[in-house]
Order: sequence, then C-alpha cells, then structure tokens
Amino acid sequence: MAVLFGITLITFTISYFAPGDKAEAIAHARYPGDFGIAPEVLQGIREEFNLNAPFFSQYTHWLADVLRGDFGVSYSSRTSVWVIFVDNLGETVTLTLTSLAIGLAAAFLLSAVAVRYPNTIWDRGAVIISSIGAAMPSYWLALLLILGVSVYLGWLPAYGTGTFAHLILPAATLAFWVMASQTRLLRTFMLEAYDQPFIETLRLRGIPEREIFSRHVLRHSFVPALTMIGLDMASLLEGAIIVELTFSRSGLGSLLAGAVLSRDLPVVMFLVMFFATAYVVINSVIDGVQHLCDPRNIKKAKAS
Amino acid sequence: MSLSQSINLSDSHPADPLRQFTKRVGVATLVLLGLWSLAIWLTPYEPAAADFLNRLAPPSAAHWAGTDHLGRDIATRLLYGAGWSLGLSLAISLTGFVVGTVVGILAARSGPAGDFAVMRVTDSFFAFPELIAAVTFAGLFGPSTSNLVIALMVVSWMKFARLARALTLNLGESDFITQARLNVLSNGLILWRHLLPNILPSLLVLWTNSWSRTILSVSGLSFLGFGVQPPSAEWGAMLLDGKAYMQTAPHIMIFPGLAVLLAVMVINLTGDRLRDLMAGKT
Repeated sequence: MAVLFGITLITFTISYFAPGDKAEAIAHARYPGDFGIAPEVLQGIREEFNLNAPFFSQYTHWLADVLRGDFGVSYSSRTSVWVIFVDNLGETVTLTLTSLAIGLAAAFLLSAVAVRYPNTIWDRGAVIISSIGAAMPSYWLALLLILGVSVYLGWLPAYGTGTFAHLILPAATLAFWVMASQTRLLRTFMLEAYDQPFIETLRLRGIPEREIFSRHVLRHSFVPALTMIGLDMASLLEGAIIVELTFSRSGLGSLLAGAVLSRDLPVVMFLVMFFATAYVVINSVIDGVQHLCDPRNIKKAKAS
Repeated sequence: MSLSQSINLSDSHPADPLRQFTKRVGVATLVLLGLWSLAIWLTPYEPAAADFLNRLAPPSAAHWAGTDHLGRDIATRLLYGAGWSLGLSLAISLTGFVVGTVVGILAARSGPAGDFAVMRVTDSFFAFPELIAAVTFAGLFGPSTSNLVIALMVVSWMKFARLARALTLNLGESDFITQARLNVLSNGLILWRHLLPNILPSLLVLWTNSWSRTILSVSGLSFLGFGVQPPSAEWGAMLLDGKAYMQTAPHIMIFPGLAVLLAVMVINLTGDRLRDLMAGKT
C-alpha cells in the first residue's frame, strides 16, 4: 500500500514540475488553430482545473479523483483517459503474451536440451544464443528482421498494426529476448536441481533419466523460474514499448510516446501509474503463485 | 568471497584466480582505452564533417564502415560514439552504484523504522520501469542528453540499495563484525574497514550488469528520439539516422547496432566471469 501511495506521489511530482503552461496546453487542445487565446480563457481553465492551488492541494485533489476511478480527460482528444487506455491495451497485451509464450516455450526446450546433453554442441549453443540475446539491442534486431524479412524477402509487412502478419516480426523480436534471458536462468536452475541429493537417490532406485528430468528436475526449476519471470515483467513491458515504437505498432508504448511529446498530461500520468502499479501487482501475484507451487508450503498449509 | 580476504590470500598464493582476473581486466581496459585514443588520433576524418560527394558509400578501404547520408565516415563516428554510449552509461551506472550503496547501508543501519521508510521509498522508485520513467521525463522536459542522463540516474540506484541493504543486514550478525564492536572500533571504521570490503564484490557484479543495461537504455532511448540528439554520434542516434536509408545503404544501421551488441556482451561476460570466480571462493 505504501508503495502504491509512493507511486502516485512520484507521478504527480513529475507532472507538476513538467515545464510549459498546462492551461495553455489545454486551451490549444480545445481551440485548435486559435493562437491568440485570451488571458480570461486561460484564467478560466486554471480555475476549472485547479491549477493555481499549491502543490499539496493539487495533489490531494488529483489523488481523490484517481481513487474514485476518475483519471481525467485527455487534453488532445477530449475523450476519457480510461477509454483511450482500453482501446490501446489489447495490442500491447497481445504482443506481450504472444512473445512470452513463444519465448518461454523455446527457452524450456533449449535449456532442457542443454542440460540433458551437457558439454555438447547443444549446450554450448544454448549458452552462446542466450548471451547474444541478452546483449542484443531489441531495436536493432527489429531493424535487421525488417531488413531481412520485409525488405529483401518481402514476406511480411514491416510497419503497422492490424493483421496477424503484422504481429509476427514484433513478437519474434520480443520472444527472442525472452528466450535468451530465460534460457540462461532455466539452465542454471536445472543444473542446480540436478545437484540436489534426492536426484542421486532416484538414480540409485533405477528411475530412468528421462523421467527424473521431466518429473523432478523440471518441477524443481519451475519455482525459481517463476520469480525471475515476475522480475522480468518490467523488462518485458519495456521491451514491448521499444518494439511497438520501432515497428510503429499502436499500443500503450506508442500511446505513451505520443502523449509525452504532445504534453497530454492526464494520459501520461495514467500510463506511468498503470505501468508502475502493474509491476507491483504482478510481483505480488507471482509471489503468491510461487508460494503455492512449493510443496513444502502446501504441506504447511494442510498441517495448520 | 571478500575482497580483503582475497587480497590477503593472494599475497601467499600468487595464482589466485580472482586476483589474476582482476589484473587481466585492468590491463585489457587500459589497452582498449589506449587503442581507442590512438584510433581517434589517427583517423583522417572528423565525426561531423559532411562529404556530399561520398554519401551512402559502402565499406571500402578509405571508409572502413562506409559513409552515412551526409557522407560522414561511420567508423570515425563509431569511435567518437563510444564516448557517448559507453561514457554516459558508465557515469549513470556509477552514480547509481554509489547512491544506491549509501542508501542501502544507511537503511540497514538506521533501525527498523528508518529501514522501513527508506525501503518503501526505494520500492516506490523501483516500481517505475527504467525506460518508462526515462521516456516520460525526457519527453516532458524536452529530449536532450542532460534530461536523459538525469532520468536514468533517478532510476538507477534502487537495485544497489536493495542489495547493499541485504548484504549489510546479513553481515551485521556475523562474528567478525561483533568482534570489531567488542574491540570498540568506531562505527565509521567498522564500515570502512570491515563492511565495505565485504559487500563490494557482489555490488561490483551488479554494477557490470547495470552498466550494460544502461548502454542498451541510452542507445535505445536515443534511437527512439528521447535521448542524445543527432548529429551527435551516439550509437543509438546513428541507428536512427540509418533507419531511413535501410533499403539503399544497410551498412549505416548494421555497424552501430553491432557496436552496441559487442560492448554489452563484453561487459556481461566480464561480469559473469567475476561472479563465477567469487562464487568459487565461498
């Protein structure tokens, strides 16, 4: 709770100190093309939006609105911030979840192969791919994919949103990053799981190696992996924003960039708060799920 | 594990791998810096000198990495760009390192109430993804190098604070700190002589990670137009220049990207090796 409060305070402070006359920004959005806005109009806007009040009074006013679920109206399009947000949310969620699913599946596959065949070309390959992927600037990978697949081969559209074909290259870019960062971690976790004494016991009992892997090692590596995925959600969202902007896709990232450049403060403040809150919420959810996944905790819950 | 221990150990064992590695990294850094200065001194081109007769030229003997849309030599610009991309991110991550470490130690040593307050502030900052904070700040206050640096510095210290706090709390209960207290060493002395040398190595590993991430952020934000502005030869800004000419002259965007990739990889691998060597010591 304290953290959520801190988030609102930081968000408001940034927007409060943002340069430029907010009344003028609102006026320009309301009367486009009108450059000689009368001072009385500006004064009216200042009173309407409570812009003359001191910092703390403005903050509490705004916070009260936010708590009531009123996030204000976009300066530039004069529609509710919430409506704009919902319109753009879908594209970002689609991109993020698609890449997460593809990237995770690939990471599990790659690290499983690497761990089952240690010190072979597969193992080396997985390590090399993951260290390249971790260092790969996603915007550059995006440009390379556009160059190769769209420009030279002409298979897929390079920019824009809409059809499934538009999703492939952005999702591939982001999925590559997911795969690289997760392979690296999963491989470590799986190797650590192999070091546990119970694995030796299972081997002595004659359980086949394949079963040891799929039933024990895999499960054992799942809990720490979940935490890391949670921690990386922020990076995933950041990645999604870069990818959206590079591919000129619509979505929350493009919305944020556009709103920031046009000084559409209500939209900016809402999005910043949304990303921060999403990060906090996702982490708490992951914490909960992780707690449930660990059999030691289930036993404890049953015992009590 | 500890730096002080490792230094003491290595006096008697000259083959200590951690010490050897540190030495090698030091030498390699100096050699690279030397080569970099030499190359900048030797190159016949200026990073901002336009040459319209030779625009969009592919790599050749005269222009090793070709020229861009204004005929500027890309190899020269990459050299100067290293100062921007690597230098700025180095400054940012070092600031985060120092500020975060101080905040973390303070939190750990200021009692439960102070600790709670400091860590909730840290958590609040932590919740803002770096890139979103930077886009917002640099966008609202006007895209420029200084705003980019301020924005990234503001969100650079939290990881260090968390780690420094955890390490300090852990160490506070260890025997040798208690021993030092019993010997009535002053707080400052304990901090400087016993605490810092023990928590620094882990923080250093985190710092390599933070530096490489910051390189990606700096060049990424510049590429998106929120950071270092063209005509400065920052690598991300160069990529942005190259994007428009991707079809006719792909080399303009290939080389800056490759530079970012290589720099980040080298720093990451160094950090990994450092971490492995330290893990081997415990």
